[in-house]
Amino acid sequence: MTRLFGIMVLTTFFTCMPVLADTPEFTLTIKDHLFYPSELRVPANQKVRLLIINEDPTPEEFESYELNREKVILGGRRTVIFVGPLRTGEYSFFGEFNMSTAQGILIAE
Amino acid sequence: MLLDIVIIVLRETLEASVLIGVLLSVSRHTDINLLWIFPAMILGTAAALFYALSLGEISEWFDYAGQEVINAGMQYIIYALLGCIVCLLFSLDKQKRKYLKGLMVASVAMAMVREGSELFVFYTAFLSQPGSALQAATSGFIGLSVGVSAGVIGYYALVTQKPPTAKAFQAFLLVLILTGMAMQATQLLIQVDWITVNEPVWDTSWLVAEPSATGQVLYAVFGYEATPSLIEIILYFISMAMILGPVMLLNFFTKNRNNEVKP
Repeated sequence: MTRLFGIMVLTTFFTCMPVLADTPEFTLTIKDHLFYPSELRVPANQKVRLLIINEDPTPEEFESYELNREKVILGGRRTVIFVGPLRTGEYSFFGEFNMSTAQGILIAE
Repeated sequence: MLLDIVIIVLRETLEASVLIGVLLSVSRHTDINLLWIFPAMILGTAAALFYALSLGEISEWFDYAGQEVINAGMQYIIYALLGCIVCLLFSLDKQKRKYLKGLMVASVAMAMVREGSELFVFYTAFLSQPGSALQAATSGFIGLSVGVSAGVIGYYALVTQKPPTAKAFQAFLLVLILTGMAMQATQLLIQVDWITVNEPVWDTSWLVAEPSATGQVLYAVFGYEATPSLIEIILYFISMAMILGPVMLLNFFTKNRNNEVKP
């Protein structure tokens, strides 16, 4: 079983190579528990790289049910997540640690 | 804000709580002293604290993919540990069951690391705000209580069953939980583009929406995904088959041997 597990892990890692080239990058900034911009427009049917910069001194968790994304970003740090390819439409996201203020929409068009 | 904290704490504790409930019921049916849970929780809490303190540095590894890669690695290890537990439940050799305790300690401790570290990070942020300590503590306690209740209900629902029925349910739940662990690992690797995906194959959000209470429980415990891509579906069934295959073989040989013993 250990061998089978090893094969599964290796297959996952080697058949799914990261594709970095030609992936457009967009930036989201967290400041005063708000997202800037709160409406982010990205191309549909294409994978995009989101650079998220947390300018607050406190941590935040970027979360989106529609995008299936969840990531903790410590205060004063930055991170990267990939989304898509997305169908045309609106996808909401929020900061889980400050849900009342940190809200945003990603628009795929 | 009060309800937000309840929900956050509940979400982070639900998965570990249900897992602990099922594993304690396994201990009960295999005559293992339930006290293993204490070293497991101490180990898990210490590891979660250490992980939370290192999170800033880890997050920057592999071009900001460190958090996902390490978390996915931990999820795959829990998957393997739980797989071993399920196989041991059906093992012919009762002596091998002595390994169960160690496997359960390791899997519970590791299951607490990721969610536990997120709770530590959340609480350090929240407690930095003035006058919020009592609110954070009471709301957190409510969330924790609801999360723990789910595990307690699961435990009693399983231990009140007769051993063969309980074993079938324990194995069934553990297979769903461990496959959910593998599914969550896949989703983490997709998030940082270590696994490339195409468009979703289906959308079941009309049936069970992920933000709903049911969706949250199904995600936390079984890795539910309303809009899975093809590779997620394939990896889900491969990870399930990799455990179910050996279990079915073990079950088959056990029945054969029992039949041979009977005149």
